Amino acid sequence: MAINDYDADATELLETYDFLMKYIIIGEAGTGKSCLLHHFTHNSFKEHSQHTIGVEFSSRTVKLGEKRIKLQLWDTAGQERFRSVTRSYYRGAAGAILVYDITSRASFANLSRWLADARALGSPNLVVVLVGNKSDREDEREVEWAEASRWAADHDVHFLETSSLTGDNVEAPFLLCARSILLSIESGALDPEKAGSGVSYGDRALRRVNSSSRLSFGSLSVGRRNRGSTRLKLKDLVPGTSNSRCC
Amino acid sequence: MSSSPLPSLSTRPTPSPSSASPQPHRNPVSLRLYKVLGANFDDDATKEALNTLSELYPTTGTIKQIKQDGDLSSDSDSDSDWDGQDGQLKLPQLPPNSIISSERRVTTGTAALARKNLRRDIETKLAETSRMFVKAFGEVDQKLDSLQEHITAMRVQCDDAQAQLSSTNEACKSLLERAGNLREQRQAISTQQQILSLFLHRFTLTPSDISALTSRDVPLGKSFFEAMDKAVKIREDCRVLMGVGGEEGPSQVGLDILTTTSSHLEQAYEKIFRYLTTEFQNLMGRGGDRVDPDYAGSLEVTPIMREAVRRLRDRPELLAETLNTLSQSLSPTLLSSFLTALTRGGPGGVPRPIELHAHDPLRYVGDMMAWVHQAIAAEREFLESLFGLHEIKGAGGSSRGIDMVEEGEDERRMIGSVRKRQGIEEEWIGEVMDRCVGKLCGPLKVRVQQTVRSQESPIISYKIANLLQFYLVTMKRTIGEEAVLSKTLKEMTDISFKVFFDGIEAQGRALLRVTLDLDDPALTPPATVTEHIQTLREILSVYESSHLDDEHAVPVSSSNSSEPHVKDEQLLFGGVDRILDVMIDPAIEMCVAASEAKSRFRRGWDGKVFALNCLTYLQNVLESYPFAGNKRKMLDDVIEERVNDLIEEHYNNILADANLNNAAVACVTMAPGEKLSNIWATTPPILSGALSKFSEWLSGLEVVHSPRLAQLTAQRLHTRIHQAALERLANTYKLLCELVRKPENGYEAASTLLGSQRPFGQIHLLRQIFGLPDDDER
Repeated sequence: MAINDYDADATELLETYDFLMKYIIIGEAGTGKSCLLHHFTHNSFKEHSQHTIGVEFSSRTVKLGEKRIKLQLWDTAGQERFRSVTRSYYRGAAGAILVYDITSRASFANLSRWLADARALGSPNLVVVLVGNKSDREDEREVEWAEASRWAADHDVHFLETSSLTGDNVEAPFLLCARSILLSIESGALDPEKAGSGVSYGDRALRRVNSSSRLSFGSLSVGRRNRGSTRLKLKDLVPGTSNSRCC
Repeated sequence: MSSSPLPSLSTRPTPSPSSASPQPHRNPVSLRLYKVLGANFDDDATKEALNTLSELYPTTGTIKQIKQDGDLSSDSDSDSDWDGQDGQLKLPQLPPNSIISSERRVTTGTAALARKNLRRDIETKLAETSRMFVKAFGEVDQKLDSLQEHITAMRVQCDDAQAQLSSTNEACKSLLERAGNLREQRQAISTQQQILSLFLHRFTLTPSDISALTSRDVPLGKSFFEAMDKAVKIREDCRVLMGVGGEEGPSQVGLDILTTTSSHLEQAYEKIFRYLTTEFQNLMGRGGDRVDPDYAGSLEVTPIMREAVRRLRDRPELLAETLNTLSQSLSPTLLSSFLTALTRGGPGGVPRPIELHAHDPLRYVGDMMAWVHQAIAAEREFLESLFGLHEIKGAGGSSRGIDMVEEGEDERRMIGSVRKRQGIEEEWIGEVMDRCVGKLCGPLKVRVQQTVRSQESPIISYKIANLLQFYLVTMKRTIGEEAVLSKTLKEMTDISFKVFFDGIEAQGRALLRVTLDLDDPALTPPATVTEHIQTLREILSVYESSHLDDEHAVPVSSSNSSEPHVKDEQLLFGGVDRILDVMIDPAIEMCVAASEAKSRFRRGWDGKVFALNCLTYLQNVLESYPFAGNKRKMLDDVIEERVNDLIEEHYNNILADANLNNAAVACVTMAPGEKLSNIWATTPPILSGALSKFSEWLSGLEVVHSPRLAQLTAQRLHTRIHQAALERLANTYKLLCELVRKPENGYEAASTLLGSQRPFGQIHLLRQIFGLPDDDER
């Protein structure tokens, strides 16, 4: 262990964070939720992925502007038989990553039901990001981007397409969601001190609160990332991630 | 030397005047003279001597003057005289010839004088000069004398000084020696000092180190850990040193150092202990002022805490105590969070309290379990971080990317994955987790049991049991089989399964008590059975949905997570057979018993068909569940038996209807040697009548369609039973024909008897009528 680690002032402690956010990843079975999450946390494609049994947990700390955010990620099983189990995990989630498969219309058709569940059970300020996964399989596309985008606009959720095989855009939904939550904290719509918001302050933020009451997020959109997908209109909203491991 | 020939010229004439004076004589004197005259004075030495002489006598006047004066005292006067005369004489001296001529002129006076006085002059001069010398030297002598005096005095002084010096030297020598010794000593001592200070630097802690280690005023931090490292290093080095010089036994210094450092280290461990204890107690404080019903795991680990825990591992008893404090401070927080989530929910009621959904047992239990599950995940993460089990990840730099992929499977805290890593850390973590989470078991158990026991529907209790089972399997991997929560979950699962089985067994017993409505003519399964089976269907579909994947799962070798899962579940869920037993057996029993009972009271009501209908109904239900194979096989056997019964009965019925029963009995019962035509039933007239009636029957509907069997809901069984009965009828007719045709049976016109009516004794014709495959073809 590096001696420097003791010195809290000298180095940024990687484990401290400003906010802790609870996310759920939901959507029909086989849409690639676990693979998307795996790519996000491990930066690699998950081979031989099987159906998720119940729920699985993982976490990752991301950096957004000057803020460190620890994401608690609950990956749920998409199969109907686990619905009663997985629904219990929606409770108090701050963000939901709603995943469908662009090559499967069936996985798109049921989105309303998933969204309704998440809205009903998650935190009142739940931020939802609709993710069209498997964007690498353009040949087999069954759901057009425009259609999904319209659906997202109608239902007031964010939208983008990803590929958990190639890793294209996999970090974007998580960061977009975090940013959106941060903005609602900043605007006062969401109070991390309140339980059930799915967000809480980390030690790092608490320290800062103690030292100065200012809680501005500084430059949230520094260093924009240039992702390949140019049709992503939300690109400008996706803040750069200096700690991004894949690029 | 242009003048060189001139002297020779001049000398020759010179003697001539001198010789002229003594006048030559040819005698020895003259010879001598000649000889003298002949002598050459032309050599340089002579010339020089002459020159000197000439200088001595420059002029007669001068000489005269000298002579007259007799006084040489005033040099200056004479010099001036000489000068003046020189000036006069210059001219005649220039050409040598003129000198000679002038000499010749003066010679007459002075030369003689010179010759005469030369010796005297010279002597005078010598004496004079000598006097001058004497005088001069006398002065010198005087000076020298005084010099001598000085020198003597100096020598005395010098000697004196020398003596002093040497005496001083003597005196200094010892001093110098001492100084030298001292210098050497100083050198040695400074070397020693250097060594000692190095030694001390290496083997003792600085006061600041010591205060970092022991003082309460210095907070735990970099300096503390460095000092601690140093102390440990000192001890190691010390042991090495003592090991090297082992012959003399451990040195006192070494022992001292070991003792001191050990006491410091102990104090350091104590300090870590105090630090951790305080930190852990503060966790409780932090949790206390805001109880988070979601227990989102707002626990954080500072690097100092992690390092402190790492260090304290060397003092397991202290670590155990701090961990005890940790669990003591965590568990009330956890418990109160759980209770808040259950009863109060979040502030403002969002999210709603879990108990609000107590009326929906599945959701209620599911929410509680999910809450516990999430709390465990958060706690586990906290503890793993505390023990440094998973290195910092996530926000790490790109350099860590590759490592992370490799460690990925282990690092990912998947709830569904088996924890492979074993070790002391796992034990610690397990212990703390167990103690914290164990506190939740009480309230959890009470609520779950209440919910389970209050369920009337076995379907719901089955669902709850499955849900609990799922969490048992899931959590067992995270918290271990021995954990209190695992045991509680096991207990709750067992209870809910027991409740479930009790429920369906009670239902089965209730079914057995059911009696059939005597007035109901229907032969279809009664509503009580179909309702019962409907319950079974729902249970089985719950089972099916929760085990579908496991049954069809292709065991991928790399997936180590699903295999034990399947095994666990099959082990625990082997119960599907038991469910079927409990549900199906009473149904079978009831159908059979009830049909017999009803048959007794109600004539004409076909109990057998009813029973078979019920059984085939059950069979059909099981048909769609592949896992119900065993039960279906058992059911198949029961049905088969009943079908055979019915075939027998039906055969007898149609035999009677076809009027062949008596003849058939005769054929079978005839004694050996007896003639068939002699038996009453088969005497030609009777037989002929029977055969004509049989012929009539053959034209009837019953040949293709049995009204009784039409009541069977399974068309398949209808056909099968009827065909089997007809087959036997055909065989009976065949036997009859064969016997009639046998001469020994005594029929006179056998072919007429048989051929007068259909089927004219032709078996294949009969089989055609019956729609059976031809006997020959078979």
